[in-house]
Amino acid sequence: MKLDDAAFRLKEFWDEFRKERNGLVGLGILAAAILAVFLEPLIIPYPEASSRWRDITYWQDNSKSAPPAWTNLFTARKSAVARTLQDARIQDRGPGEKVYTYTYDYDYNRAPYDLLVRGEGSGNIPLTVTVRRPDGVSVEIVRYVLQDLAGQTFRLSFSNEGRSNALEFLRKTERPENAAQIATMSYGVAEILFSKAEPDFVKGPKPLTGRYEIEVTAGFTDPRASIEHMEIVVVGRVSGILGTDSMKRDIFSGVVAGMKWALMIGLLTSIVSVLVGVFYGITAAYFGGRVDSVMMLIFDYFISLPVLPILIVFSAVYKPSIWTIIAALILFFWVGPVKTVRSMALQIKEETYIEAAKALGAGHGRIIFRHMAPLLIPYSFASMALAVPGAIVYESSVSLLGLGDATIVSWGQILHDALGSGAVLSGLWWWVVPPGLLIAVMGMTFAFLGFAMDKILHPKLKTR
Amino acid sequence: MSNGIDGDVILRVDDLKKYFTPHQGFLQSFGKVRKVVRAVDGVSFEIRRGEIFGLIGESGSGKTTTGKLVMKLIDPTSGRILFNGRDVTSIGQAETKEYRRQVQMIFQDPYASMNPRFKIRDVLEEPLEIHRISGNRAERDTRVVRALTEVKLTPPEDFMGRFPHMLSGGQRQRVATARTLILNPAMLVADEPVSMIDLSTRAEILHMMKDVQRDLGLTYLYITHDLSTARYFTDRIAVMYLGRIVEMGRADDIIDHPAHPYTRALIEAVPEPVTGKVDEVKELPISGEIPSPSNIPPGCRFHTRCPFAKEECRAEAEPELMDLGGGHYHACRRWKEIG
Repeated sequence: MKLDDAAFRLKEFWDEFRKERNGLVGLGILAAAILAVFLEPLIIPYPEASSRWRDITYWQDNSKSAPPAWTNLFTARKSAVARTLQDARIQDRGPGEKVYTYTYDYDYNRAPYDLLVRGEGSGNIPLTVTVRRPDGVSVEIVRYVLQDLAGQTFRLSFSNEGRSNALEFLRKTERPENAAQIATMSYGVAEILFSKAEPDFVKGPKPLTGRYEIEVTAGFTDPRASIEHMEIVVVGRVSGILGTDSMKRDIFSGVVAGMKWALMIGLLTSIVSVLVGVFYGITAAYFGGRVDSVMMLIFDYFISLPVLPILIVFSAVYKPSIWTIIAALILFFWVGPVKTVRSMALQIKEETYIEAAKALGAGHGRIIFRHMAPLLIPYSFASMALAVPGAIVYESSVSLLGLGDATIVSWGQILHDALGSGAVLSGLWWWVVPPGLLIAVMGMTFAFLGFAMDKILHPKLKTR
Repeated sequence: MSNGIDGDVILRVDDLKKYFTPHQGFLQSFGKVRKVVRAVDGVSFEIRRGEIFGLIGESGSGKTTTGKLVMKLIDPTSGRILFNGRDVTSIGQAETKEYRRQVQMIFQDPYASMNPRFKIRDVLEEPLEIHRISGNRAERDTRVVRALTEVKLTPPEDFMGRFPHMLSGGQRQRVATARTLILNPAMLVADEPVSMIDLSTRAEILHMMKDVQRDLGLTYLYITHDLSTARYFTDRIAVMYLGRIVEMGRADDIIDHPAHPYTRALIEAVPEPVTGKVDEVKELPISGEIPSPSNIPPGCRFHTRCPFAKEECRAEAEPELMDLGGGHYHACRRWKEIG
C-alpha cells in the first residue's frame, strides 16, 4: 500500500475513533501510562528503585510496613510522616567547630520510629546531636566520633546511639516509683523526644507539638575532616504516596518503575503471540486440507506441552533475563487464539465476497490480509487485551520459579513479595492493592481500546 | 443491436465435467463405495463475441457450478475451457489472474458478494489494486466515478463513502456490476443477478446490464432459472437438467417451439399475471423433485419425470444433442412422436 494511502486510512480511522468515548478513555490511560514511563525519573522519590529494588542498603533508612502518608486524613491520631530534613543553618562556633541546625515542625500524635543523622564524611570528626524542644529543654542525645572515614556514608541512629541519654532525660521528670519501669518500657527514643516531659510518662506519653531544632555540632580539628550532604532522616510511621513494604521499599517508586516492564512484557508478549496465533489460524483455515492437518498437528504439540518443565529447562539453558522470559511466554501464548481464529476463518472463507475477490483475481495474501484478517481484528484485540494481564501475571509466576529477572522490578514481583510476606493477613493493603489495581486497569485499558476498534471495524454495529 | 450470433467464438466449453466426492468418516470408509456427486456431467457449448448466452435450469441442475468452472473458481474433473481459442483449463497463477481480468463475475446475492467493511470506493478500487491499474488515488477515483456513472448510480460521490449495507439490493447489484466493469472485461458471468432483487427493480437492472453490454460490446454468460427474464435478456439459451444440456438454441426458438419435454414443462410453469388466470393452479406435466446428482437415472436422465417416457428412454443409452437446424439442438429421442 502506498504511503499517502496509509495516511488517508489512518486519518479516516482516527475520525471514527474520536467518536468512541470508551476508546478515548482507554487511549487516555495508555497515554498516561506511557507518559509515566518516560517521566519516571522525575516522579518517583527513589530514582534507582528500578535497578536497586533488591538492594537492602538502598532502602535501609525507610520505615518498615508504613501506610501511605495520606491515611492521616482518615485517622484521629496523626502519625509522623517520613521525610528528610536537608536545609541546615550552618554556624561556626570557635576554632574548628561547626553547628548544623535543622528545624522540624512536629504536629502529630504518634512520634516517628526513629531519627537518623546521615551524611558523607572524611577523617575523624566528633559529632554531638542536641535536640532543642519547643518547651525550652535541650537534650543532648548523641555523642559520637566518626573515625577514619574516606568519603563513606555514615548513619547515626538516635535509637541506637542515644537511648541511654534519652532515658536519662526522662528520669529527671519521672516519679521515683516509676523509675524501675523506665528501663523496661517499650517507648523508643523518638517517643521520649517528641512527648511532654512530665510524670507518669511510662503510663502513656502525651505528644509535645511545636518547632524542634536539631543541632549537629561537628569538630573539624583533623585536617582531613569534612562533611558533605548531611541530613536528618525522620523515619515516619506513614510514608510516601503508597507506603512501604516489609522490606522498607517505597511502593510508589516500585509501582511506577514496574510500569515500563509491565507494558513491555504485556504488550510485546500479547502482540507477538496474538499476531502469530491469528495468522496461524487463518492460514490453516484458508488453505485447508493437508496444510490444515499439518498445522493443527503442530498446534496440538504446542498446546499439550507441559509449560513448567519447559520453563525450568529454559532457565537452565539461558540466563533468566526479561527477554528470555518474554520469548518463553510467546512460545506458550501464541496457541491461545489459534482454535477460535481457525473456526472463525473457516466460516469467513465460505463468504461469497471471498469468492468474489477470487473471481476478481485476488491472490492468497490479499484475501488473507485484506478480507479475512480485518474481520478478526476485533477478536485479536480482545485476545490481546486478555493476554496482557495474563502475561503480566505469568511473568510474576515465572519469577516464583526463580526464572524472574532479578535486575528489574515488576508488578508481578511486588505482588509475589506481598503474597510471600503475608501482606494480606497483616493488613498491608497498600502493598497489594496498587499493583493489583494497576494490572486490572491495564487490562481494562486494552479492553476499551478493543471495544472501540470493534465498533469501527464492524460497521454494522454502528448506530447511524 | 448486435446479436452476435454470427460473431467469432469467445468461449468454448468442451465436455466439461465436475464430480464432487463427499467427505467420508473413518467408519463409513469400511462400508459401500462412496457416491460421487455428478454436478456437471459433460457440458459443451460455445459463446460468441458480443452475445448474451443464457444457462437455464432449476436448482440442482449444475448451472451455477458451470458458471464457477468457467470462472475457474473450481477445477473441472475433466473437459476443456477455451477462451479466445486458448485452453485455460489448467493455467498457472499469473495466467489465471490475467484470465480473470478479462472474464468477470456478478454474483447472485448482492448482500453477500461485497465485503461489509469495505466502503463502495474500496469495493470498486479493489480490482484496480489487484491488477495494479492506475497508481495514484486521484486516477483511481476518476475510474471509480466513471464506473458508477456507467451503472447509473449518480451522483457517484454520494455513493463512494457509503458501506454496502446502506444501499438497496438494486443499488448493490449496480455496484457489483460496476466492480466487474472497472477492469474493462471481455466477458461477464452473471449468476442469477436479479433473482434476489425486488421485482420492481429487476427490469431496471436488466436494462442497465443490457445497455452496458451494448455500449461496451460485452459478452454475457447469464445464469438463471427464470425463463421470462431469459427471453427478454438473452440471445441464445441452453437448458440444463441434472448436469447436462438438454436443449440449446435461439431464445425465441426455444421458448416458442420447445423440443424437449423438460423445456416445455419449464415454459408451462411460468405464471401469467392475467385476469382470470391468476387463481388457476397449473397442472404441471412433470412431477416430483429433480433426482439427486449422486444417483443419476440410467438412460435418458429425465425419464423419471417425463410424461412421454417409454421403456426405450430408460433402457437405451443417453441421447446426445441433435441438430434441429438453425442452431437449435435438443436431446430427446422421441421429439417427433411427441411434437
